[in-house]
This record gives sequence, C-alpha cells and structure tokens, in this order.
Amino acid sequence: MSITSRIPAGMRYYIGAEARLRRQVEDVAMSVFEAWSYEEVITPSVDYYDLFEQGMGQREAQRGFRFTDNDGRLLALRPDVTSSVARMAATLLAERSRPLRFCYAAPVFRQQTQSHAEWRRENTQLGCELIGVGGKPADLEVLRLAAEILSRLNLQSRYCITINNVDIFNGVAAHLNLEPAAREQLRRLIDTRETAELQRFLQNYNDDEARAFSQPTQLTGKRDVLRAARSRITNARSIAALDSLEDLWSEIAAHGLESAFDIDLGDVSSLDYYTGLSLKIFVHGAGSSVGRGGRYDGLTGSFGRAEPAVGFVLNLDALTEVLARSNVQDR
Amino acid sequence: MITIAIGKGRIQESALPLLARAGVRLNDEAVNSRRLALMDQTGQYRFIFVKPADVPVYVEHGIADCGIVGRDVLLESEADLLLPLDLGISRCRIVVAAADKDAINKAQGMIRVATKYASIARTHFGSRGIPVEIIQLSGSVELGPATGLADVIVDLVETGITLKENGLTIVEEIAESTGRLVVNRASYQLKTDEVAQLVNALESVVAS
Repeated sequence: MSITSRIPAGMRYYIGAEARLRRQVEDVAMSVFEAWSYEEVITPSVDYYDLFEQGMGQREAQRGFRFTDNDGRLLALRPDVTSSVARMAATLLAERSRPLRFCYAAPVFRQQTQSHAEWRRENTQLGCELIGVGGKPADLEVLRLAAEILSRLNLQSRYCITINNVDIFNGVAAHLNLEPAAREQLRRLIDTRETAELQRFLQNYNDDEARAFSQPTQLTGKRDVLRAARSRITNARSIAALDSLEDLWSEIAAHGLESAFDIDLGDVSSLDYYTGLSLKIFVHGAGSSVGRGGRYDGLTGSFGRAEPAVGFVLNLDALTEVLARSNVQDR
Repeated sequence: MITIAIGKGRIQESALPLLARAGVRLNDEAVNSRRLALMDQTGQYRFIFVKPADVPVYVEHGIADCGIVGRDVLLESEADLLLPLDLGISRCRIVVAAADKDAINKAQGMIRVATKYASIARTHFGSRGIPVEIIQLSGSVELGPATGLADVIVDLVETGITLKENGLTIVEEIAESTGRLVVNRASYQLKTDEVAQLVNALESVVAS
C-alpha cells in the first residue's frame, strides 16, 4: 500500500449528508451567537507555541502539533482558540470599549488526544468568549447561550450542563495547607470519585472541612449538594464561591432551566485554568463531554491587560456524530 | 437501562454473586450459555461479558455505562474513568519477581523485564530511574527468567504458588489489586439516578 493512500490517525472525511448535517449544526450555533450580539472572529491557524503554553498551560499545549518557523522559533497548529482571542483582546483591541463578545467556528488540532475514547485529532470548536465583564450576569449569559444552542439542535432533555466553582475546592485545599503534590492527589481522587482511597487520604487531616469531599459520589445534584457542602465548609474563600454558585443556580431556576443543569462540586478537572465558574456539557449518545468552559479571569492578564472573561466551546464533530446516529434511529 | 461490562473469568466469578446479593440477578442458564449479552431478571441492567482488558475500552467509549474490572487492568490501560467503588473481590498483588532476590540491585545499566503489564512496569521502574527493556508477553510470564529471556518479571500474584514452582521469589510489590466498579463520565452525569442506585446497592453489600 502506498503511503499516500493512508490517512493519519485521528483524521477523517465528511461526505454528502454528513457534511451537510455538520454545516447545519455549525449554522445553528453561529446564528444563536449572532442573535446574542457575538461577533465572529477568525484567528490564525498557526501561531507561536509560547502563546498556547501561556494560554492553556504547558500540559495542554504540549498536546499540540509543533514545528519550527524559518528563524527557528517554535510554532504550533492551534490546539485552542481562546488563547488567541485573549491575546487579541489584551493587545489589538485594548482600546475598544467593553464588554467584548466574540464567537468562532474553528478547527483545533491535538497531536495527542486526552483519552482513548477521543479518537479525533482535529476537532472544530464552536465557541464564544465574553470579555471585560465579570460576575453573575456574564456567567448566566454564556450558560443560557449554551442551553439555547443545544435545544435549537433538538437535544432538549437529552443534554446536561454541569456547573461548579473551582474556588470551593481551592478554598478547602488552602485551608488544609496542602503541599502541591497532596493537593494534586486530592484533586485526582475527587475527579475520579475514588471513595475508599479518598477517605484514606482524608484521615490524615483531622478537620471537618476535609469531610466536605469525603463522599465523592454525592457531589452531583441540584441545590441540595450546596446545602450539604455548607454544613462542612467554613473557610471564607469557599463560602464566597458557594454563595456565587447558589446565586447562579437561583437564576438558572428562574429561567426554567433547572432540569437541564446539575451542580457538580466534584468537577475539579481543570483547576489551574479556570478562576470561578467551570462547566461541562454532556449529551446522551456521546461517551465523553461534548463541551466545556468557565471563567478565566487570569488569562488576559498574562497578555498585559487583566480583566474578567468567561466562555465555552462545543465540539462540532462530537455533536454531529450524536445527531447523525439519532437521525438514523429516528428513521 | 444501564449496561455493565464484566471481565470474563476470575472477576466474573466473584462479581456475579456480589451483584446477586445487591439484588441484581442473572439467570444461571443464561450465564452458562455462550451468549455475550444478557439482561438481568428485572430488565433494568444489561450485561456484556468481554475480555478483562476490554472492559475499560467499552466503558471509556460509553458503550457500557459501568464496568467491573481489576485495578491491575485499570492501571495498565490508563483509561479516563470514574472509580467510585472498591468491591474487594479478586484480591491480588502486582509484583516484581525474580530468581534472585537481589536481581534489581545486581543489574548493570539496564534490566530486562518480561510482563503482560508493559505500562505498569515502565511507570514503576521509570519513577525510580532504572532503565528497562520491556519484553511484552501474553502469558506464562514466569518462564521469562528461567529461559533467559528476562532478568525479572512484573506479574499478578494471588497465592504465589506459581512463582515458587518456577523458582521465583517476590522482589518488591508494586500495587495491590482488587475488583473495581468503574463508571463512564458521561453516564455518571446523564444517568445519575440509575448509576447511584447501582453504586449504593453494591456499596451496602461490600461494607457488610
């Protein structure tokens, strides 16, 4: 077999009906973004590797495809769009009045996938960023946007958006004075809900706050999980985060979206990236999350202009796959 | 409905009685048949029986919502799954064994390791800065040192009898392994109540 008849791992074609469906999904998302006054932005496909390392952290950026420029500087095929938008906001658009609202439909590339189930190395992200405004109204805006896109895709009652505030965990970790290695171990045990190991780990910390996470299978639910957490947690940082999450939950309920959302205090997968709200999006028929996002107030600061920012991305390829399969079943 | 993937063999033998005590019963006749997919008596759970190493694959892809599999397999697969429950079944150890108890210290520059657990062996020796040549085998690993294929082996040990009969002793223990309940991340969020019901039912019989 000649080398040119082969296709690299994680790459694929879309043909005919599937390509059409994929474009329809993209159009739905982009039209919802537009209706909410989000401006489309097209960022460079190739950029300096440093940009992504600064934007995503070393561990994530390293998953990207890397190569060198004429002068020897390291380049990368963009593994995310957010880093580039954040730089643009802090530099090119530093003088523009806030808030900034941007959306995009752009392929991102990862040489190394995150899990075995993530087969694709090219994924198109449908995403938005709301920059220059913090607090509940901005968080609520992007959550409502995500919910609207999913229901416009006829995924009503087939999706679930989980929300958390990373400062709940961070406050407890700080209160327990955890060394970086111990903090990472606690994070991992909560993330994978390893009840027995987690309880063994927490025995070393004779502290009521430590017990807030001791039942990791009971961290997901509606408003009641906040009540359970409050009965254990007393440190100010976590309490503030619990308050803001509860405020947000009340707004979600007021908009009649309670059934589509869950609070998941155990979502501690990207603690070092997000600074407040974090969210994950799940759809029946997809084995892993089809979207994620959150607040990243620290990011634009690393490009010289610190300001609040929040956003999310949906994975167009994963959504298309789910919808294509359910179309076949409906027939 | 929830789909549960179960590793065939040792794990299956101890998992099915545990599930029965938790109120999830399979027809004996069906279990003894050659069918690879079965419903439980209530119709609430679908079981698929696969090779142990394939359990993390089915669960990570969301084809099965849950799985029952040994920690040895999970460590080797490095699958991204939730691990809410240690079922305490099929208890055994993952060890380094050799003919000479001092094999690791005596090694000069590099050791040859025969194993079914290439990834576990690489991580274990890597964390200690010991260069290794991993020789991947699919069975009868104990033959490695005797035939001169390898200096040491990394393998699963239950009683230690097989090791002893092949002239090997345990040099060090890498990890303990027991059967675990694993859950797909998306199923955990989308089928919250059903998964919680299974976790709680199993938890109550594991604790007793």
